[in-house]
Amino acid sequence: MLKQELIEKNPIRHLKGESDAQESSRMGLVMARAGVGKTALLVQIAMDSLLNDKQVVHVSVGQSLDKTKLWYDDMFKDIAESCKLDKAGEIHDTIMRNRMIITFNESAFSLAKLEERLHDLVQQNVIKPKCMVVDGFDFGKTDRAVLVGMREMAKTMDLQIWFSAVCDEGTDNLGAAAAPAPCTGMEDLFNTVVLLQPVPKSDCLDLKVLKGSAAVSKCGKLLKLDPRTFMIREDCK
Amino acid sequence: MRDITKVRNIGISAHIDSGKTTLTERILFYTQRIHAIHEVRGKDGVGAKMDSMELERERGITICSAATYCDWKDHAINIIDTPGHVDFTIEVERALRVLDGAVLILCSVGGVQSQSITVNRQMTRYRVPRVAFINKCDRTGANPDKVIKQLREKLGLNAVPIQVPMGLEGDMQGLIDLVRMKAVYFDGENGDKIREEEIPAQYQEECDLKREEMLDAVSMFSDELMEAVLEGTPTEEMIMAAIRKGTLDLEFTPVMMGTAYKNKGVQLLLDAVVSYLPCPTDVENFALDLDHEEAEVKVSNISSDPLLALAFKLEDGRYGQLTYVRTYQGTLKKGDSIVNVRTGKKAKVGRLVRMHSDDMEEIDEAGSGDIVALFGIDCASGDTFTSGSDYNFSMTSMHVPEPVISLSITPVDNKAQDNMSKALNRFTKEDPTFKTYVDQETLETIISGMGELHLDVYVERMKREYKAEVTVGAPQVAYRETITQRADFNYTHKKQTGGSGQFGRVAGYVEPLEEGEYEFVDQIVGGSVPREYIPSCDKGFQKCLDKGALIGAHVTGVRCAINDGASHAVDSSDIAFQLAAMGGFKEAYLKAKPVIMEPIMKVAVEGPTEFQGSIMGSLNQRRGMIIGTNEEDAYTVIEAEVPLSEMFGYSTDLRSLTQGKAEFTMEFATYRQVPKSVAEELIVKAQKSKKQ
Repeated sequence: MLKQELIEKNPIRHLKGESDAQESSRMGLVMARAGVGKTALLVQIAMDSLLNDKQVVHVSVGQSLDKTKLWYDDMFKDIAESCKLDKAGEIHDTIMRNRMIITFNESAFSLAKLEERLHDLVQQNVIKPKCMVVDGFDFGKTDRAVLVGMREMAKTMDLQIWFSAVCDEGTDNLGAAAAPAPCTGMEDLFNTVVLLQPVPKSDCLDLKVLKGSAAVSKCGKLLKLDPRTFMIREDCK
Repeated sequence: MRDITKVRNIGISAHIDSGKTTLTERILFYTQRIHAIHEVRGKDGVGAKMDSMELERERGITICSAATYCDWKDHAINIIDTPGHVDFTIEVERALRVLDGAVLILCSVGGVQSQSITVNRQMTRYRVPRVAFINKCDRTGANPDKVIKQLREKLGLNAVPIQVPMGLEGDMQGLIDLVRMKAVYFDGENGDKIREEEIPAQYQEECDLKREEMLDAVSMFSDELMEAVLEGTPTEEMIMAAIRKGTLDLEFTPVMMGTAYKNKGVQLLLDAVVSYLPCPTDVENFALDLDHEEAEVKVSNISSDPLLALAFKLEDGRYGQLTYVRTYQGTLKKGDSIVNVRTGKKAKVGRLVRMHSDDMEEIDEAGSGDIVALFGIDCASGDTFTSGSDYNFSMTSMHVPEPVISLSITPVDNKAQDNMSKALNRFTKEDPTFKTYVDQETLETIISGMGELHLDVYVERMKREYKAEVTVGAPQVAYRETITQRADFNYTHKKQTGGSGQFGRVAGYVEPLEEGEYEFVDQIVGGSVPREYIPSCDKGFQKCLDKGALIGAHVTGVRCAINDGASHAVDSSDIAFQLAAMGGFKEAYLKAKPVIMEPIMKVAVEGPTEFQGSIMGSLNQRRGMIIGTNEEDAYTVIEAEVPLSEMFGYSTDLRSLTQGKAEFTMEFATYRQVPKSVAEELIVKAQKSKKQ
């Protein structure tokens, strides 16, 4: 399989806007219960940008650098194997050059610090990210102002930001476009909100689009993903 | 024979300058192995006992892990002093194999530094239970609480203090033991008189709080204690048993504190070693069954079973080669004959001694789990000894990393030449990562190893211990060449210049090999190349691997296959086919798009956040690929992968960039293709030096 095909099968294609113009300065949110695969989906989102030769900053709160790096390595290996990707080693090396991981201790994370760090990186020409994924951000302890600040940052830095959030139990029945707790009331700040759910007694995952441009997806508001590679399953397309 | 449950094999492991050697010195003093205390960089010129090598004494660092033995409260403790620098990793890792538990020493000011992270990672890999000791509590700026927080956050240990210091910095008076709830003072000139008293009133509240925290944490490991805590009647024994269990399971790290230099807290640490660290039977050790593809087999630890012992360190003593061994099962007796599994050779146990750094004590036998030294046994480090040749087990699958850096050395005179070869012979035996050979073209002696400091130390040792003065060339990176695609060859070697001629034709292909260095495939059918000449072809190919056509670097990752050929009844010979294979390889090599590979190091730089920008810039300049950063309160750790060739002199640069506040560690990561521009430069340089 070629790199191009890989790009097309990435679920994120269906979540991001259709044109590149729309892509920047957006905010997205991935929600799921603990252990379903938020980080994996975020990595997949980052991977999509990387495969398109765009630079990515991965912000991880509370996880170590090695662990985060492992996510990428494992994910790439799984994808490369299951899709029989040509020249996997070469592609891996080049895309990893475009990725930068910043990890924060839970106590050390703040918007101001992150912003400073990003400015530093851009100024020193280390990286100029088009996409940033933020894993482990504690929505329960954040107020709206921080997220508004993030949005501001997305705009000034011409950046697309994706967050992950752990949602509480019993969120299966939802009203239209309402994000489950702890993000209820914040949906207006995001362009896209998706909910990741395991499908009982099957080996795939449901990706429910709660808010955003899901119309581009052929399957409407529901995508089925392979839980290993987080690629869209062929049989559901 | 001694009771095996009363043996402790421990290591003392830490960051450079956290006072490891000083602490060891104190331990030896309190256990009455030595009768006077010498400081590491002492004015008395004797130096600490464990730093027995002259060089170590001068630099104030410990290079080789000497083993030493002492008694404490009816228990035997073998201490293996491990080196703190990553360049000596093989020493560290080998030391970790033979220990059952470890004391992790931290400086109360410096806290957890990058070196401790590496060592901690290695300990976790080898599942070594550990207790932490926060040393240097007398120094200005001492902050044990900060260090404990770092132990939790940076090392991921469940670190809980079991002591509270009474005063810090200059006015540290003693410690409060939270298990027994007693204040302990260390009186006398050398702190050897222990005085126990009630807890002073001003510390009572803090102690109650900390004790509760500790009980919370350790009651997780014992239901009995949990119940007792709820009822308010936990006993000393219960708490100690729970701490021990948590420590052995690697789920709990008791933290002690003190200052070895000012003689405080060392005896309590020894108590903890005896109470909380495992005895040889508490840990599982595995041997590799060589008859069954190195399958792992648990060793029994029983002294009456067949012998299984690992030689983990060699030393050139005054009376010949001294071999440090650890027995894993069985008994090592004077007069017994033992077999070296690697070589299959039999040897007789002549003298058996218990080592105390430089001095020794003769013994007759050593039971399972003990650490002793043998005299006059010819072996290399990492060899396994068993009681008989039918018992085919090995303790290590000695995977040795390939050296990444090399230096040329030239002796200054004839005398130095002799001494140098003696020294090299010894070093290569002691340290498998240290290699030496003579370059056939320049006739220079080349030494190679795992880093700049690694080689530096050996050059120094040559001068000091063997009086071999050498001049040292510029360090060279061990580049490699490999091919990226398949290419065919069909080569005829023919020579007819009087006498019997030479004839051989081989055809086949070369292709990239994913894993391994070289593979030879014989696909000849119908005898177009006679059977007897097929090994000649293999030999011919292997000769080509030494020097690649691009820059003369070692060629790896190649599969050579032959599938056709021709021979002559009279003129074909072994050498003819070797030359034919060499010709074929050369023909195919350039067609197979060869590339140059260089060693890439995993570099971690740790420094104050304000220097983060300049550190990143410096790594970027050196063709580094920054993997990421980790932000902690005032510190940032930057991880990057940087080519080794760009890392020369980095420590100096980093120091000047950051006012000496940042430090870095470096480990070999992988080989990767060099970028085109650099490759071209290398090729031009190689061609120039060829012409000269």
